[in-house]
Amino acid sequence: MLGTFTVSRPTELGQALDLIGEESLAYWGGTELFLAMKMQLLMPGNLVDLKGIPQLREIRMSGDELVIGAGTTHDEIATDPGVRGAAGLLSSVTSRVGNSRVRAQGTIGGNLCFAEPRSDLATVLLALDAMVQLQSSSGERRLSITEFLLGPYWTAREPEELLVAVCVPIPAATGVYLKFQFTERPSVAVTAVVSDGGQPCRLAIGAVADVPALHTAESWDEFDAASIAAGIEPVPDLTGSVTYKRHLTEVLVKKAIAAVRAGERDG
Amino acid sequence: MSDQRTQVGVPVLRRDLYAKVTGAATYTVDVSPPGTLHAKVVRSSHAHARITRIERDAALATPGVVGIVVAEDLKDLFPRFGHIVPDHCILAIGKVRYYGEPVALVVAESLFAAEDAAAAVEVHYEELDAVMTAGDALADGAPLVHEEFYRAATDESFAAMAAAPTEDGDGGARDNVAHTVELEWGDVDAAFADAHLVVENERVHYPMLYAYAMEPYNAVADFRDGRLHVTSTAQHPFMVRTDLARIFDLPLSRVRVEVPYLGGGYGSKSYTKVEPLAAIGSWATGRPVKLVLDVEESIYTTRADSADVTVRSAFDAEGRIIAREFDVVLDSGAYADNSPLVLAKTVNRCFGPYRVPNLRARGRSVYTNTSPASSYRGFGAPQGSLPGELNIEKAAAELGLDSFEIRRRNLVRPGEEILRGKRGIDADLLGDLEMLANSLQSHAREDSAIGIGFTASDAGAFPVSTAQIRLQVDGSVLVLSGSTEMGQGSESALAQIAAEELGVPLDAVSVAQSDTGTGPYERTTGASRTTTLAGLALQRACTEAKQKVVAMAAEVFGLPEADIASVPGGVQVADRPRVPFGEVISRWFGAAAGEVTGVGLVRREGVTQKMPPFWEVGVVGVDVEVDPDTGAVKVRQLATVADVGFAINPRAVEGQDLGAATQGLGGALFEELIYDGPQLVNPNMVEYRVPRMQDLAERIDTMIAERGDGVGPYGAKGAGEGTLNPMAAAVAGAVAKAIGRWPTRVPLTPERVWRLMNDLPEEDGE
Repeated sequence: MLGTFTVSRPTELGQALDLIGEESLAYWGGTELFLAMKMQLLMPGNLVDLKGIPQLREIRMSGDELVIGAGTTHDEIATDPGVRGAAGLLSSVTSRVGNSRVRAQGTIGGNLCFAEPRSDLATVLLALDAMVQLQSSSGERRLSITEFLLGPYWTAREPEELLVAVCVPIPAATGVYLKFQFTERPSVAVTAVVSDGGQPCRLAIGAVADVPALHTAESWDEFDAASIAAGIEPVPDLTGSVTYKRHLTEVLVKKAIAAVRAGERDG
Repeated sequence: MSDQRTQVGVPVLRRDLYAKVTGAATYTVDVSPPGTLHAKVVRSSHAHARITRIERDAALATPGVVGIVVAEDLKDLFPRFGHIVPDHCILAIGKVRYYGEPVALVVAESLFAAEDAAAAVEVHYEELDAVMTAGDALADGAPLVHEEFYRAATDESFAAMAAAPTEDGDGGARDNVAHTVELEWGDVDAAFADAHLVVENERVHYPMLYAYAMEPYNAVADFRDGRLHVTSTAQHPFMVRTDLARIFDLPLSRVRVEVPYLGGGYGSKSYTKVEPLAAIGSWATGRPVKLVLDVEESIYTTRADSADVTVRSAFDAEGRIIAREFDVVLDSGAYADNSPLVLAKTVNRCFGPYRVPNLRARGRSVYTNTSPASSYRGFGAPQGSLPGELNIEKAAAELGLDSFEIRRRNLVRPGEEILRGKRGIDADLLGDLEMLANSLQSHAREDSAIGIGFTASDAGAFPVSTAQIRLQVDGSVLVLSGSTEMGQGSESALAQIAAEELGVPLDAVSVAQSDTGTGPYERTTGASRTTTLAGLALQRACTEAKQKVVAMAAEVFGLPEADIASVPGGVQVADRPRVPFGEVISRWFGAAAGEVTGVGLVRREGVTQKMPPFWEVGVVGVDVEVDPDTGAVKVRQLATVADVGFAINPRAVEGQDLGAATQGLGGALFEELIYDGPQLVNPNMVEYRVPRMQDLAERIDTMIAERGDGVGPYGAKGAGEGTLNPMAAAVAGAVAKAIGRWPTRVPLTPERVWRLMNDLPEEDGE
């Protein structure tokens, strides 16, 4: 059962930034937060409900970036024509996150800040070379996904900072996202992307280790699935042992690369 | 006769459909009498430990707390329950025997207050060595889960349901064996010595399962003026009443147990669970007390017995079974609950519906420091049929026979005995087999891996059932039954039977169920018995009511009874127009008032004399494919045959069969409660993986075989468990064909199958 707490409902970003801190947590869809609170892993005295701040729910193009407000739900991203046109892979992955309730409630910002190691979004955003924009009352900064994700349920975000937007370079790379999912969360996810501008081939492996890992090369020939799989440190759990998850990684890396080389594109 | 039936044998919508879909249906959790207090259970944090001290002062000082009950407060009561072995402490006495065991009950004005206070109750423990597996529990010098001896209840009905005498173990006095069962006939050793082929499957493991009723265990109790009124999530309110009466030394008539709609049970709500906790809360505080468990608490309340079974079978050169031998060990957890009967049924059901001229089956139910096990849909049949049927498949492979042919050579024929001295089988298994074969083979592909399974369960439990029918003056009809509507559709089936018997429209019939204070006695709602036994009682009640109306009509019309004919909806005199029941009642009472009650009784007599009351057959087949890269199993086809004699509501029969098969698929592929140390690692619905929509077969064929061969109404027999029972065996057999290896355990998770196909050990050896 949830403990006792208060809820603030700011309507402007400035108010929200004044409120957020160690004991006063940002709250969007609550799909992860309330689970943690019910298990008493988190016991905040106050929640700052950010749903009333319109700018945090915007999706817009800004120069060579697609800027997605942190409070945008998975469903909103999946069904947004702009995202579909500029970053089809992201659109496709968000349509496959969790279950329909999670997609309707959960947000991109909440997902990244919770840093669930089996997050689909972290993996695909890493492959797409996305940046996260953090803001506090004293300033703002931009971090790459690698800089932002420090470990399981652990990010570089300071308690008083709010993740306000995710920025994806456009035109975004295209490719495929494959996952092996037997239970509620994936055991391994692999995404392989290329961009039109002849950027290197990018392969991101997520859900299997503490944080997603990125591999880049000039050509797909340079990737060796077996050695990539051998190099990861899978977290064993009920969905697979270390040996099995390494094996699954190798299988998915091979499949993802073969699919991209064959011209398959998600979204 | 049969062509005149209009109300049964036709598909009808469930009566509770709209109420349940719209959320209007009332469940126990919705019941809150005025002044209700809320309870929270303080649970053990150890698998096995002596309780040295319980400090409750701080908790009692929490605002809103009304009382805290611990075992020592129950000295004047009978502080245990258990319908077979009364070993189950309401609150742990002296020591705890499993993680999650209730130690204290906090009662408060609000659930928040109760939870806060529960966290403030300090229980001091002195840890004891625990036995977490049946193997540990059976080891020499293993710590004892129970030091005391409990005398088993001396109800002959339990003996009658077990084919062989079950024996109490030492009740824990010398070892951890709670119960043993031995079943033997013929000369097994000689048969094995003469065998053409002997096939063995060693230590086949069936997992601990959670039945996953969507509704957890809940109860509301109100103890006042020497009367106890309990509303709860119980399948068997009359059984619960007996336990409660013993605890408080009350006459049965002063204990009322009421059950609203049940949000699923699947056997897990058989017998007493949380009712004593709510009742002692009310007894201690003098106010109504409501106890609502969450999923984790429910998982720790009851699970299915896990099993390790070794089977050997001997065959002659023609592929006929000449002998079978089984060794069954059940991990029954900390308390007996219904496990002695689950054990007896596992032994009765493990060797299958085959001609087995020589049999030796030995079973032991073992106490461990894990959550108490009890009934689960199928009741020993899934645990026994996995090794039993896998063994038949293995034999078929070695004999060069296909899965169907080996069964053609061995299945019992209609009327033949499966258990010596018991009712012969009231089903045509060979007919069912051909239906199954046609269905699966006509849709098979070149790479199909088809596995099938057959089971026969001695079902119906003990035949004690009563029903009442009340004909109203306006022509409407009230059916009273003690059988619980737990989602299986009994409310609709009973209404159909009454409408058929009385010749009234279905809409004229209302059904009220499961209230020991106002309704008739029903022994249990389990073992697929309602349609057959409650149905028979209801038919008899209708007959009695009709006879009464004829007698009343004779009096009203001044004619001999012989001149009055009972006709659909009323009575008829010669060629005069029909007189409806309501009019007869009204004219007899001389007012638009009064009613006529018919009572129907069923006991071990006549058609239900022989045990079991009927056999419930399980006939399933699956066609699977295995992903060579991941080991993931996909079910292409599922075919089931419901050999039900007569389907009162065919829609419900198909729904029950698909539901049971799907639940069976859970144990076959996904579900397993896993202990790591004293605690479960997956006592929640995220990590305890149940079947989902996408897991269902691409092609599903739920067939119904109606041959009118049951003892129930219109030749009906029970349904609802059958197709679960052989599912794990059928899936394991199919996977074996797909990968060329014999599984030794379920669930066949992707990793398990992948390891099996690559000859890797079961786990990483790090």
